[in-house]
Amino acid sequence: MNHYPQAWGRPRNDVYGPYDHSYTHSAMPKTHTQSPAVTGTSVLGVKFKDGVVIAADNLASYGSLARFTDVKRIRTFAPNTVIGFGGDVSDMQYLDRLLQTLEINENYLSSSEHSLNARNLHTYLSKVMYKRRSDFNPLWNMMLIAGFDEDEKPFLASADLLGTTFSSPTLATGFGAHLAQPLLRRLMPNDEESVKDVTKEQAVDAVRACMKVLFYRDARSMDKYSIAVITKDGVDLKEDEKLENQSWAFADQIRGYGTQVN
Amino acid sequence: MDTLVAQYTQPPFSHEGYTQDEQEDYAESIPPLSLKFALPPVDRPAQFLRAMTDDHSNPDCPIKIAHGTTTLAFRFKGGIIVATDSRATAGNWIASQTVKKVIEINPMLLGTMAGGAADCQYWLAYLGIQCRLHELRHKRRISVAAASKILANLVYSYKGMGLSMGTMITGVTPQEGPALYYIDSDGTRLAGNLFCVGSGQTFAYGVLDALYKYDLEDDEALELGKRSILAAQHRDAYSGGYINLYHVKEDGWVKHGFMDSNPIFWETKLEKGEFSNVTSHL
Amino acid sequence: MASLMHYASLHSENPAYSFSEASTIPHSEASAGPRQHAFYPYTDNGGSTLGITGETFAILAGDTRSTSGYNINTRYEPKVFRIGDDDSSPIVLSVVGFAADGKALKERLDTIVKMYKYQHGKPMSVKACAQRLSTILYQKRFFPYYVHAILGGLDEEGKGALYSYDPVGSYEREQCRAAGAAASLIMPFLDNQVNFKNQYVPGSGEGLSLKEKPREPLPLDAVVGIVKDAFTSATERHIEVGDGLQMILITKDGIKEMFTPLKRD
Repeated sequence: MNHYPQAWGRPRNDVYGPYDHSYTHSAMPKTHTQSPAVTGTSVLGVKFKDGVVIAADNLASYGSLARFTDVKRIRTFAPNTVIGFGGDVSDMQYLDRLLQTLEINENYLSSSEHSLNARNLHTYLSKVMYKRRSDFNPLWNMMLIAGFDEDEKPFLASADLLGTTFSSPTLATGFGAHLAQPLLRRLMPNDEESVKDVTKEQAVDAVRACMKVLFYRDARSMDKYSIAVITKDGVDLKEDEKLENQSWAFADQIRGYGTQVN
Repeated sequence: MDTLVAQYTQPPFSHEGYTQDEQEDYAESIPPLSLKFALPPVDRPAQFLRAMTDDHSNPDCPIKIAHGTTTLAFRFKGGIIVATDSRATAGNWIASQTVKKVIEINPMLLGTMAGGAADCQYWLAYLGIQCRLHELRHKRRISVAAASKILANLVYSYKGMGLSMGTMITGVTPQEGPALYYIDSDGTRLAGNLFCVGSGQTFAYGVLDALYKYDLEDDEALELGKRSILAAQHRDAYSGGYINLYHVKEDGWVKHGFMDSNPIFWETKLEKGEFSNVTSHL
Repeated sequence: MASLMHYASLHSENPAYSFSEASTIPHSEASAGPRQHAFYPYTDNGGSTLGITGETFAILAGDTRSTSGYNINTRYEPKVFRIGDDDSSPIVLSVVGFAADGKALKERLDTIVKMYKYQHGKPMSVKACAQRLSTILYQKRFFPYYVHAILGGLDEEGKGALYSYDPVGSYEREQCRAAGAAASLIMPFLDNQVNFKNQYVPGSGEGLSLKEKPREPLPLDAVVGIVKDAFTSATERHIEVGDGLQMILITKDGIKEMFTPLKRD
């Protein structure tokens, strides 16, 4: 008992040792194997009336170094699901193997082939991610899962290293959540109800435009990217797209950085 | 060799799912008696827990657990009076004004709640189970000394893990008479005539010590319990709400109300002339 | 002078303790030895929930915005869930805080309620479910679920029942409760409008002789109005609240779900 009634009933320093603030720091981690090393940046996804478009660039950064310039971060899973990975590349490859194993097992075990749709994969992945975070051994990724649900409706949802999940007609991870998401949302003024009014061309154009915006402003991005269009007919994945019609005219208008103050 | 083979022949990714045991625990509709608690898989779980929940050391901590209390209990010739306030605070936020801080362990035993609300609720319910099992095994009521010792040993086994509770166990048994024990999460267990626990304890002690004697009549004792809590609610920001009043006798406890303290305060002031430091008009 | 009123500042003018108290570790210097785990397992997804009971019904509501920091993750992520599949004993749970923990908690309770019915041949009562939820939360006492849960249903007498929880499982049956980001905005409003706190009978006197307005059970349409007002107002003044309002109403006739748009700015 001390002279601070507010402290009574709370952990005492003489019993528990001093309060350690470092546990409450939510800044990006620095040590241990559990921090991202080689990372991918944003992933974008947009639903349209008969499918989903998803895109990510082909860069894997090592800190600020553009280390690997030909890493495919969009992966397909039979029959009709596409997953875009942001975050740690080694964890992405691990998850890729995990899902491939799952797919093979599923093929052997079930009578009909390829029984897992995008929603099933998303649920499975979110459980894996949540268990890993609860074990304090996270898979350092932000993922978008795109495809179709059991009603053959377009499906787009996100899962991240904490096991948080959410779904929306337009999604973007990482820097894209700040830069691309507001632009993509213009396509969907009424959220889910607007999906039926968006054509494939509109969705693809919007995503391509956003990839360009991201390349202009995201220092960890690249002008080579992959884009996948998922429709009922299958996945149309292009892994070697180039950003076209770039205009850096805005660059000399930028003021206020570095030595250039005015 | 077998272990080596086993190590390399397990299916890949086998640790990604939950084990059979974990899945069974997950769906178990009756809570386990075996006290299985999930621990954060870090090197110092208690430090982690404290960092997450100690809103005194770090007002910005993410998880705020309800705290703050005045509780009292005292022995007198007619049994035991137990009285508490009803406020729960999380930082400066009043989380509730209607907390039941007297926990009815069984029709004979009462416990009080100070410190972490969940700790007290859970472990006193656990104590209730143990008391019932004692009755079934031995065909007689458990003594208050034994009941309080079950709890004290239990919390002592969790010492340093971050439990936070200051509780009083009361009951009247033929062999002990009125019995009162104080137990806290450090493992302390004390028998006594009179205890006040919580952030408002000093204020309650002030009133209680001045007017307490063992030979109080029942109505005097109830009034004293009520008045002591009122004093604490008046002076301690972390206490308030209602006054919860119980009288424990040999044939069980009797509840004497869950009373709004505001009208009682004004009654005490205007009719008895106490609290004359408070002005009722400008 | 104002700083003296704030207890945190007391520590800087520290008089002697009765026992030696080392000061807390400053933010910059970590404890001895290398920090093993910099991973922070929680986040706050914002939003708010509330529950109100009436004589024959309970209502749980939550906004549908999900946030991380200043970003809106999605405008439609429900926070109020049905538990079990049984219409004779409908139970509804709302969770707010860290959404992944909330989802894990909801699925766990849901499984348990369903298993209870298979094992016992009768639906779980709301009272039993409330106690079980408390023990589920407490089993994570040392690694808590970062959620504020509210459980609603109808009790054995058919009256509305509402239980509110702290993150580690202390619980209480109440008439009304708000939780989450805007709890501090909504809860005082509910105290006043549902429990008539600080409302007095007009003309009953002056000052201390004022009579409190007697409490009476509110009709359903009045409660729905209060819920909507609570959320439209919270949307005006809290950045993490908005987009949509999901309400689940529990009566003896079963469960009805309602959705009302909120401002999306």
